[in-house]
Amino acid sequence: MVSRFDQQKTKHQLFHVSLSLATILICMTYMQYRRNWAHLGSFWDSLIVPIVFIGELLKVILARFFGRIEDGVLTVKQRQKKAAYFTPRELLGGLTLQFLCTLLYAFICIILGAPVLANYEQTFVLSLLMTLLTVSPTVFLLGGGGALQVCFCEKPDFVTKCEDTALHLFKYNALGGILGAWAGSVVAPLDWGRDWQVYPIPNVIGALLGSALGNIYACTHVLYACGRVYMSKKRA
Amino acid sequence: MNFTYVFVLIWLAYLICSGVLLFSRGFLLARVSKTETSSCRRLSNNPNDEYFLTPEVVNEIFKDVNASSSSNLCLPQKSKVIMLVIDALKYEFGVYNENTTELLPYENKLDTLHQLLQQSPGNARLMRFKADPPTTTLQRLKGLTTGSLPTFIDIGSNFASPEINEDNVIDQIVKTDLPLVFLGDSTWTDLYPRRFKRAYSYPSFDIFDLDSVDNQIMQHLPKELASNDWQVLIAHFLGVDHCGHKHGPMHEEMSRKLSEMNDIIKSVVAGMDNETTLLIMGDHGMTASGDHGGDTDDETNALLFAYSKQHKFFTSSDAGSDNEMLQQIDLVPTLSTILGVPIPYSNLGLINFNIVPAVAVPHLSKFQTLLLHAWQNAHQIYRYFFNYALENKRTFNVEQMDKLETEFILLTHRVQTIYNEAAFKSFVRDLNMNLRDILNVCREIWVKFEPTQMSQGLLFSFLPIFFAFLLINNSSASDYAKIFKPKEVFYVFLMNIAAGVFGYRYYKNFSFKTEEHGVIFFTSVLSSVLLAFYTLRHWNSIANNWASVKRFAHMPTRLLLFSMMAVFFSNSFVIQEAKILSYLLVAAILLLVYELLLLSARLDFKNKFKWSQFLRSAAFRLILASLLAICCIRFAYTLFRCREEQGNCADFASNSTPGFSVKRPSMGKTYILAVVILVLYTTLTRLYLRSCGNLTGNSANVMLARYGPTVASICAGGHILLANSAIKNIQRTHIDAMALVIYGLLLLQIVVVSWTPLMTFVLPPKNPNSITINGRDSIVPEIFRKMKRMYEGDDAEQSYAIPVVYGLATVYSSIIISFGVFLAMLMIVVLEPHASIGLIVCIVVGAIILSIHSILRYRTATSFESCVQPTFSAVVAWFLLAHFCFFATSHQTTLSQIDWRAAFVGRSSALGQSHLISGTLVILNTFCGPIFFYCMYSLLSTETFSLFALFPSLIKSSSNSRTSNKSDAAVALSDIATEAVGFDMTRGELALYEYEDVFLGAGFKLATQLFMLQGIKIFCAMLACTIHCRHLMVWKIFAPRFIYEALATFVGLPSLIVGYLLLLRINRAVDGLIKRINKDK
Repeated sequence: MVSRFDQQKTKHQLFHVSLSLATILICMTYMQYRRNWAHLGSFWDSLIVPIVFIGELLKVILARFFGRIEDGVLTVKQRQKKAAYFTPRELLGGLTLQFLCTLLYAFICIILGAPVLANYEQTFVLSLLMTLLTVSPTVFLLGGGGALQVCFCEKPDFVTKCEDTALHLFKYNALGGILGAWAGSVVAPLDWGRDWQVYPIPNVIGALLGSALGNIYACTHVLYACGRVYMSKKRA
Repeated sequence: MNFTYVFVLIWLAYLICSGVLLFSRGFLLARVSKTETSSCRRLSNNPNDEYFLTPEVVNEIFKDVNASSSSNLCLPQKSKVIMLVIDALKYEFGVYNENTTELLPYENKLDTLHQLLQQSPGNARLMRFKADPPTTTLQRLKGLTTGSLPTFIDIGSNFASPEINEDNVIDQIVKTDLPLVFLGDSTWTDLYPRRFKRAYSYPSFDIFDLDSVDNQIMQHLPKELASNDWQVLIAHFLGVDHCGHKHGPMHEEMSRKLSEMNDIIKSVVAGMDNETTLLIMGDHGMTASGDHGGDTDDETNALLFAYSKQHKFFTSSDAGSDNEMLQQIDLVPTLSTILGVPIPYSNLGLINFNIVPAVAVPHLSKFQTLLLHAWQNAHQIYRYFFNYALENKRTFNVEQMDKLETEFILLTHRVQTIYNEAAFKSFVRDLNMNLRDILNVCREIWVKFEPTQMSQGLLFSFLPIFFAFLLINNSSASDYAKIFKPKEVFYVFLMNIAAGVFGYRYYKNFSFKTEEHGVIFFTSVLSSVLLAFYTLRHWNSIANNWASVKRFAHMPTRLLLFSMMAVFFSNSFVIQEAKILSYLLVAAILLLVYELLLLSARLDFKNKFKWSQFLRSAAFRLILASLLAICCIRFAYTLFRCREEQGNCADFASNSTPGFSVKRPSMGKTYILAVVILVLYTTLTRLYLRSCGNLTGNSANVMLARYGPTVASICAGGHILLANSAIKNIQRTHIDAMALVIYGLLLLQIVVVSWTPLMTFVLPPKNPNSITINGRDSIVPEIFRKMKRMYEGDDAEQSYAIPVVYGLATVYSSIIISFGVFLAMLMIVVLEPHASIGLIVCIVVGAIILSIHSILRYRTATSFESCVQPTFSAVVAWFLLAHFCFFATSHQTTLSQIDWRAAFVGRSSALGQSHLISGTLVILNTFCGPIFFYCMYSLLSTETFSLFALFPSLIKSSSNSRTSNKSDAAVALSDIATEAVGFDMTRGELALYEYEDVFLGAGFKLATQLFMLQGIKIFCAMLACTIHCRHLMVWKIFAPRFIYEALATFVGLPSLIVGYLLLLRINRAVDGLIKRINKDK
């Protein structure tokens, strides 16, 4: 399918990417404003987690907004799914899934070398951020069961086109976040003696930058595809 | 038959190793030792001698001090000398602590020194005796006798003591006809054979033996003290050093040893006459854990104590010498001064007059005596320095040389005009400053590199890796037989030998310095050309294969590899390498699991995700297993050894903090844990082999595999417990016997493997309807299949009987595994208890990686060739594991933390004292990870097959989505497999034999891939050393890291070849077996 700038899908993609980038930009601005890196690891003192949370929520709302247009052409299954979105069962399932994911990330942090018992608050913040960057958007969009299905099965048939677009972009976000957090550890062994080399800070910043890079990559993809179509049209 | 591949592997290994060797020759440059000797005119107090000291002679000398006749003098001997060298006598051991309430075990034990200092301060001196690194006994003895600086390359040759050919003080003493008597460490007599009038030398070999050498010395010392026919007596005590190695400085054994030393000193002081100077010295210090070899203050600060009964020593106000600290190289000129012998030719030290007895020389005033001594010393140093500079041009900086020379010429003029003490003092101050400058210049220069050898080494190790990558990595396994024809490889070897001989003969014509360089240069150039030729000839297929490779495939794995190589380039990364490797290894395992999860989840849950189904699936079990592996890796953190740079490292705790630790505190639990884990490991491998059917029958290897590991594990457990127990009255021979049993078992295993390797059992064909039994799980489906075929009336099935063969499905891997068990047992005995835990932990991780990978491999494979070739991520994971094992077994890449203890396991008396065996044991200890995992590397390709033969249900589960007819799953099993990968997977490793060519080619390819990974690693280490060769930390961090990596390469590549040979041997035996069965039928 050819992609054009004035298509709904392209618009959605571009808005989505700019939302993610704006979130990370706000995070960076916030860090610059605070000037002190040490607070990044604490749960109550840092605004990074709420900012990212709001950013992800906004992306889901964006997907819903663009999905509104498709409302007329939904299949029965998609309609059922949509109706069940706010039931307690779905909400509970989603929350449990996210909680489990946070625990899993915390465990991974520890086996990758974080202190076992000390610094648990920092580990918690990092795993919360990782959950927010990877699993949460999908759960917000599709609910707990839907998210599992999307992750582990072939594409389920209740996903609407617009949700599919969002999911595709979430993938870049998540991959970038994971790789960024993993690669962030590179500064930890260096003997520079800076205060930002303390445990969760490089990983938090790595995760944010990684997801930003993932989004930029997705953005270039979209722009490149559109640009090519535009150029060929112009030539024709 | 297929030995061609082995020879290709040997060729590649030789090329990589020779490049590394060439680089190390240029990087770790040794000082050129000069064989000239000094001589002098001996002035004497005896009127019958040639140069009798008269006022006229004195006037003659002082008329022109620079004249050749007077610049080459030796003043008369001042006294006899007793040298008591106490190995590892640290400075702190001799310092008296006034606060006697809280004494550490080593404090105030040498109170004789304190008493002598109190009684007669003028006759006794206590000084810091500063050693130059490396602080190993052999290097120190060289430094203490030649007065020159040790160079880096000498390190590690502690096991082979060659005779010294440089001019040294012992030779000078012998030449001046002063009789020498020696007692103690046989290193001295190895360095100086035939020099001593009487020598009572005892081997320093057994490091656990605290007393026997010292007792022998004590037995002979009183007799020697009483006899009057010597002028110099040297006694070298080893007990303190051995005690440090065994117990550390904080143990009560140390206080016992030091008290013993105190008694000896007391008796020597009582027994010496008035004309004798006593020098008590340590050759180096020790760290908080009792080891040495590095360059920390703890290790370099030894103790020097001098005492003379009658004559007072010169004071620092007399001659301006440092009275607080004595450099160890200063001992040589000082000793020469006391004894009146020429200062050795290559000495760089200064006379320290603080420990020279002030014996008056007739017709000379005090300052004249001192002036003559100091000026002789200066002349000698200049002669050596400028001759060295002349013969080794471009060694020294010209401007610096000019400056030093100008200063010296000024001094030669000034020395003529000294007529009083004040002038002498200011003169000697300037002279000392000038001579120390020379010393510093030399110190800087003797770590100089040779750029041509370094660059050629880099190039020659890079080229084979590059061409091997092009040629072998990009050809398919079935093509190798076409590429490497036996005849061609034979010619390649012939040409290389010819090139080597040419290089050996004509190296001088090409201005190479050594034969070695010439040989390496010509063979490497020739081989590179040959490899390039091979590549060009097969360029078509290479290009085709290359084109089919995905462009950004394996990106995460490449990233892992890249980070692993990047470690070498930063000192902080090298310091933290253990943690980085475990981080990367965990990432590699997670990556494998992720790929598997993605694949199997897509297969298992087509439409709906069900928790219950997920929890029952094989993938979930594998995830649990990998979690176990990751937890094991995390647990290995506790086994890491820290290094000095990491801070708060118990091995290197500084003196200021009271952190001196007793060696191995409360380790009882560790021993028990080690034994339990060891037994568990043996049991599990045994169970595995039995369930594969490989422990049935009575062939030699089966018998060995059935009973050997049990015996070996009992012995290893006993050795761990007894060698470290607190019980003292166990005979060493009993402990050693256990280690010997294990050595014997490994040798037996090697013999058996080369004789009859197979672990199968052929049941005589009594029952014509028998079937091949692979293991427990597959019996039922096999019977079912058999019955079905019979029912269908398969002609082939009925026409002949199929013999029952036990263990045929794991015919390859079982032998490799049982070989690995014996190898691991040997390493466990050689390793320390907690390090052996690390080894087993790594083996567990390896087993889990193998099982994850084999399932992943099967599910992604499309043909036999791709099935037998492991995925790139698994190869990298295996490679990471091999290197991680180095750190998990409590090793660290510093020179002072080599575990020399390994050399003495099982060596009390029976095995002789060959340095070869000692070296092998230390290498086995240090590089147990690379050796073990490289020897076992072929499991990566065979384990896929054995796993599916053991659990045929995996085949079904992995492809039930494709073939949905679940009704007759058992029947269709082999068909499913055939459909999926193109051959019958249920046949287990017998399938490998059926596709023999591809399988052997794949084994060769895998070995080459590991060659390449190891080659890239060592190349990066060399590159890092080249880039950082002026870095502050180059000798402390980068050079040791390079040495370790080079050694790992030198032992790793041969172990890969051993692994491949094992594979070939088994293949030949399988060939024989199948042919025999066919003939029987």
